Amino acid sequence: MSNKMSRRKFLKVVAGSGVLGFGVMASGCKGKPSGGDGWVSSQYEGKGDFPVNLKGRVAISATNPSIERDDEKCILCGQCVDACKNVMGVYGNYPLPLKQEIACVGCGQCVMQCPSGAITEKSHVRKVLDALDDDTKHVVVQTAPATKVSLGEEFGMPQGTSVGKKMAGALKAAGFDSVFDTCFAADLTIMEEASEFVHRLTKKKDEIPHLTSCCPGWVKYCEYFYPELMHNLSTCKSPQNMLGATIKSFYADKMGINPSNIVNVSIMPCTAKKFEVGREELEVDGQQDMDYVLTTRELAVLLKHKGIDLNTVAEAEYDSVLGESTGAGRIFGATGGVTEAAVRTAYYLATGSNPPADLLDWKPIRGMQSVKEAVASIPGVGAVNIAVCHGLENARQLLEGIKATGSSKWQFIEFMACPGGCIGGGGQPKSMDAVEAKKKRIEAIYKEDTGAAKRCSHDNAEIQSIYKDFFGKPLSEKAEKYLHTTFVNRHDRLFD
Amino acid sequence: MAVLVDITKCIGCEGCTVACKRYNNLNFKAKPRNVKDDGNVELDDNRWTVIQEFHGEKNDKLRFVKKQCLHCKEPACASACFSKAIQKDEKTGAVVYYPDLCVGCRYCLVACPYSIPKYQWNEQFPQVSKCQMCSERVSKGDAPACVSACTTGALMSGDRDELLKKAHEIINSDSRYINHVYGEHEVGGAEWLYISDVPFEELGFKDVSNVPVTSYTKSYLSKVPGLAACWALFLSGIAFYNYRVDKNRNQIHDPHDNDDQDKEG
Ligand code: SF4
Ligand code: SF4
Ligand code: SF4
Ligand code: SF4
Ligand code: SF4
Ligand code: SF4
Repeated sequence: MSNKMSRRKFLKVVAGSGVLGFGVMASGCKGKPSGGDGWVSSQYEGKGDFPVNLKGRVAISATNPSIERDDEKCILCGQCVDACKNVMGVYGNYPLPLKQEIACVGCGQCVMQCPSGAITEKSHVRKVLDALDDDTKHVVVQTAPATKVSLGEEFGMPQGTSVGKKMAGALKAAGFDSVFDTCFAADLTIMEEASEFVHRLTKKKDEIPHLTSCCPGWVKYCEYFYPELMHNLSTCKSPQNMLGATIKSFYADKMGINPSNIVNVSIMPCTAKKFEVGREELEVDGQQDMDYVLTTRELAVLLKHKGIDLNTVAEAEYDSVLGESTGAGRIFGATGGVTEAAVRTAYYLATGSNPPADLLDWKPIRGMQSVKEAVASIPGVGAVNIAVCHGLENARQLLEGIKATGSSKWQFIEFMACPGGCIGGGGQPKSMDAVEAKKKRIEAIYKEDTGAAKRCSHDNAEIQSIYKDFFGKPLSEKAEKYLHTTFVNRHDRLFD
Repeated sequence: MAVLVDITKCIGCEGCTVACKRYNNLNFKAKPRNVKDDGNVELDDNRWTVIQEFHGEKNDKLRFVKKQCLHCKEPACASACFSKAIQKDEKTGAVVYYPDLCVGCRYCLVACPYSIPKYQWNEQFPQVSKCQMCSERVSKGDAPACVSACTTGALMSGDRDELLKKAHEIINSDSRYINHVYGEHEVGGAEWLYISDVPFEELGFKDVSNVPVTSYTKSYLSKVPGLAACWALFLSGIAFYNYRVDKNRNQIHDPHDNDDQDKEG
């Protein structure tokens, strides 16, 4: 114990300070008051009421399932407020005093912008490592499209390197029992969502505009701020959860595994997914579809912990039955991708033939412009007006416009919380040049699409067989049970 | 100088607590010493201010309350301190602690009606610790660090009379507020004032008397200089005695045996 001192020294010091104390007191001098020997960032000098651009920080509840903060690293720079307010339209968009909760959609854009690494995802790495070590558990993993074009950055590869097969190899080396592809589930989502959209267009016009629902950040935003539009949301679960539900039903059956012994892990570009997996509305027969979510960054941590280097690991194929994907499923990771994939299959569902070449390379809805518009002419259905929006502050402005005019000129609107879509998600690697990184990742994603043997979700052979063997057809009773969900009005938690 | 806390505007970001720790160089790693049954963390030697969370009935009315020294107009802590280590600064109104003057008796801990001052139990030379109202910043005309870091308008600093006027204006113009400025009269009034839409007793505020505690201690205080002088003399005496013992022993024993070195235990 280095704190120990001799009795003698102690008394000397005490007596010394006694004499000193009396001396200073008698002479009217007080010495220095305690405190004040640290520092604060420059924007907090002065009276504190000068307007500055960046100040303060977002509030993060201890129960937030997506993100957490280490106060010791926080320098009160205000960057998180910029992300939450100006990019995501959350901070400052609800009245004070607070009602039931601190508003957060879990997008993790504050994580991306925090310069000191104070805000991070709530880590599931330990839990996944424990599951891998538990012999009684069958640990299944799936990887989202946007992680395949970003994970390489965590291992020093150039931005936009496609590492899907390396990631599959690394996950097998790490000990996961099966490695499936969320792109497969994206194809499944498209089968359901395109069918639902065509059904709404022709028979349920009150549910038009059709709003996409695969982004949990956007879904929560809609539930908070635009509950009147909840019935316009697609009832489709996100690809992650569709695959989770399929693994714990169809796959468990096929393999003869008790679903309660399956641990479903996903590799996601996203922190909102950590919130999504806990949503009660997604449960089937009282069972959660998914158990743990690792962000792209967390996977890098896990692999490095296990000594696996993505640069040298052997490539592997995704496991069969839930592993095949088409170009359509792969572009989900970029803004506009879901729409393009859905239109390809909607065209097929309406006409019985595959879409023409221009719809397979649909430029108007690609790229980083905040709101993109396009018209798809589908024989038998007519012209479909489409909008694609990313960044929730942009969504707010678009939806306020719709509210003001009372109607939407679009029949289909895609919303992604993060700027650029999931390639710019809150769980992605941090980069020197975030704008450039997003561009490169988007390019890589579309390259995967054009390089794919099949470009449309309905051409996926494993999708066709899973409908034959299990779900029947899109929107069937079984599909509704496992692949669709409901939403919760969260307006009251923020507003009177 | 005073601070007005509008509880309805606080979002619980705890930027204020971080600003306080940074500016006063407090230890971020120190585990909370006191956690209440409701999960709220209490002040301690590394937490001069804390944000406590309260939920109303039906989980409505989520409120966060900033807690720190209220900087009483007639501070009981200062009057309990016979060595004048806590003094009310006339210019700023801050109730300031001077560690050089402190003899470690901890009377202030007992005297404070709000149990604010805490003790550095883990330090070799323990000090009392409590919010200093950033006295050095305030005497330069700056706002306290916590106030400066608050972006929602929950914390406002300024002249006490003006803030009191403002507090009553806010209460009168918005029927949701409780008609009570906490700190206006409590134990004789304080520099930190609170307004709220939820009754203060539901937010962990103590219902204290309006009579200053100091009115009971005035007579005792007059004896302070004499007491302090005796105390200092007493300690000096012990030190001198020790020094002699030390010297004598060193003459007999091995001169290299130096007891003054700290020993690793
Ligand atoms: S995760 Fe998104 S919504 Fe939540 S605080 Fe961060 S930026 Fe705001
Ligand atoms: S961005 Fe990070 S460092 Fe800056 S205020 Fe927010 S949490 Fe603190
Ligand atoms: S855009 Fe993608 S990464 Fe961002 S919140 Fe939505 S699903 Fe997650
Ligand atoms: S609140 Fe307590 S510590 Fe602060 S000035 Fe008043 S008596 Fe002293
Ligand atoms: S006034 Fe200064 S010392 Fe007191 S709580 Fe605020 S920052 Fe901390
Ligand atoms: S900085 Fe302001 S809003 Fe944030 S917790 Fe402190 S008082 Fe509340």
